Amino acid sequence: MTGPLVPFREIVLKVHSRCDLACDHCYIYEHADQSWLTRPKAISDEAISWTALRLAEHAKSHALPSVSVILHGGEPLLAGPARLRRICEELTGALDGVAELDLRIHTNGLQLSTRYLDLFSEYNVRVGISLDGDRRANDRHRRFADGRTSHPLVLRAVELLRQERYRHLYLGLLCTIDVANDPIAVYDALTELDPPLIDFLLPHATWDAPPARPDGSPTAYADWILAVFDRWQAQGRTVPVRLFESVLSTLGGGPSLTESLGLAPTDLVVVETDGTLEQVDSLKSAYEGAAATGFDVFTNPFDDVAAHPGVRARQLGLAGVSETCRQCPLVRSCGGGLYTHRYSSGNDFDNTSVYCTDLEALIRGIERRTAASTVSPAVTDPGVLMAERQDLTRILLAEVHQELDGRGGERWDEVWQLAGALEGHADVLDTVYGHPYTHTWLQVTLTALRTGRPEAAPYALQLASYLAAAVVRGGLDLPVRMPYRDGRLRLPTLGELRLAGPGVTGEAQVRPADEGFQVRVDGRAPVHVRTGEESDGWLPVRMLGGAGAPALRLDDLDPYRDCFGAPVRERLAVSEVADFGERLAGAWELLRQAAPEQAEEAADCLTTVTPLVSGEPALGRHGYGALGIALPGSPRALAPALLRGFRRAKLQALVEVTDLYAQDGCWRHPAPWQDEPVAVSELLAGAYERVGLAAFEPAGADQAERALETLGRAAELTSSGQRLVDELWKEAGRG
Amino acid sequence: MTFQTSASFAAAKKNRVPLAQINVRSTDTARKLARVLPSAADRTLRASTFNSAL
Repeated sequence: MTGPLVPFREIVLKVHSRCDLACDHCYIYEHADQSWLTRPKAISDEAISWTALRLAEHAKSHALPSVSVILHGGEPLLAGPARLRRICEELTGALDGVAELDLRIHTNGLQLSTRYLDLFSEYNVRVGISLDGDRRANDRHRRFADGRTSHPLVLRAVELLRQERYRHLYLGLLCTIDVANDPIAVYDALTELDPPLIDFLLPHATWDAPPARPDGSPTAYADWILAVFDRWQAQGRTVPVRLFESVLSTLGGGPSLTESLGLAPTDLVVVETDGTLEQVDSLKSAYEGAAATGFDVFTNPFDDVAAHPGVRARQLGLAGVSETCRQCPLVRSCGGGLYTHRYSSGNDFDNTSVYCTDLEALIRGIERRTAASTVSPAVTDPGVLMAERQDLTRILLAEVHQELDGRGGERWDEVWQLAGALEGHADVLDTVYGHPYTHTWLQVTLTALRTGRPEAAPYALQLASYLAAAVVRGGLDLPVRMPYRDGRLRLPTLGELRLAGPGVTGEAQVRPADEGFQVRVDGRAPVHVRTGEESDGWLPVRMLGGAGAPALRLDDLDPYRDCFGAPVRERLAVSEVADFGERLAGAWELLRQAAPEQAEEAADCLTTVTPLVSGEPALGRHGYGALGIALPGSPRALAPALLRGFRRAKLQALVEVTDLYAQDGCWRHPAPWQDEPVAVSELLAGAYERVGLAAFEPAGADQAERALETLGRAAELTSSGQRLVDELWKEAGRG
Repeated sequence: MTFQTSASFAAAKKNRVPLAQINVRSTDTARKLARVLPSAADRTLRASTFNSAL
């Protein structure tokens, strides 16, 4: 098996190997593996120290920002407060300054008392309690060895946790599903306890020991869970339910939130009470010794376990599931189910999950119930797409502020404050933040900040020039101090003032004035600039448009416009601008005749054209609204090229604000326009472009439809991606 | 441009989080950043995914 080693971020630490309950569904005591019989009851001091040491060295060598340690059993509280204190002390001490430590304990709650909770409060150990629902449901399995109920004791533990002083430690409730229980009674009983999270868990089962299906239904578990889902929805999702949130996350292109679903590689290791290192705990349900690795904390670093073939087998993503799963469009959400649930003695783990029919019905059921809310409205509403783009620019700006972390000094504080103060003038800020090359400046600045380049802070301080441009545009009576470089004072979207010769850097004060602004440098007399007129030293951004074409900035000045992967032109001559405008107007007329709706949308969305030296209209690393265009040939050639550029720009804008697909490149698909198969992103882009250009290039329409058919079966598409494909079918006249 | 006067743009604008209050370390915002700055993906703290069923 190849690929980089996946570090462990979760450690399940078995602190006690016995339990004070005798649940008949417990995988530790009642399933195939009986290794608990040979383990020491409580973890030893030596095993604790070595675990802390191994974890710290692992976190350090892999530069992990955080690690979770789950204190587990048996019943972990049986280890007693003194041993648990020692564990917390050792782990906290070892991880101090290395990585953030997320400490948790999973308990049946029977022994929970203020003594434990005070200790947990000291070390911020959050507590998850196992409870299978109402008393009837809980009594079905979770009983003492003599058959007594545990329910009142568990409720007492939860009540303790809900007290104000311990509430912050309340992690949630873990409920193992039994379809014989009433799903609504179970859910209501859990929500009555006001948990911060509910975790519904499928009982561990394999093809050798399949789950109970009292009525024989192949979707009994899905039906049960969906009944809870409907209740959860109807009540306004008042409590996070991890299973539901995980499915919703993967349907939207995000990660799975539980190891029981999704294709994410396993990052979990188990330390037993005797210090032996094991694979994921649930494997104990498969066969005797299934979780064993042969390693222990005394002699082996965690990297040894991470390289173990059994662990690697669960880190292969798509390649690690069965052939049937690899062909299934739902595999990104279910991930083939929990590894243990795939086991059969005849075929090992190369099977679908024993819960496959349930997982399919569950995911489809949730998808059907939530389609309206999980699809990004940006897919169908250009106004929302624009709003999300503005949102993205502001987030990038906030990220610059975060990354600077004091590196910008007092000057940055002043500029950042001004940016905040100008929020009340959103219209003028929107024009400047929405300028496509503002996005480029932010990306360049963030890259410089993250790589520690010395020019990063000066890049960031250019924010002042964007704010000055906004102030001038809005005519706000506010002086703005801003830098000039290389003798040029640049006001994005407006133009450039040559103040001095090359190489001269300094600071100027800009203030709005009659039809433009005044600029004052080093106490000299102010210079008045009318922004619309080219004058001595002032080069305005010129506008194209008129004669039916939309008003577009011809930006041949912005220093960040050189982002197209093709050389950009320097300042165009007046005659070239006139020529450019004429051909653009001609092309736009043709566009409006051939594709009126797209022409209208393009006119609303495109703001900026940057002349390139040569080549087709291109996109680069910029925000929505820009096209790089070489001085155009005939309007007839330019019209489809413009439309192609707009389609590409829009899809890029969409992909940057919503997840249309996930795990791009994991699958390869046939593309009707070439021999080599392509990734889903390429297939979607090809179809998107060809559907849009059908009026100019009818031969591409058939290829587009075949691509859309393939996309309809693609596992990578999210709910938003599927909706986009539906929209493309409509646009192609087949929806 | 007319998008700035569309109802959906106006509605989103009204609900904007003030610049100074944007939490770039929240899961949602980190995900937005990761789409345009892929190196941001692993900078977030990872939530536990352990499936206990005990």
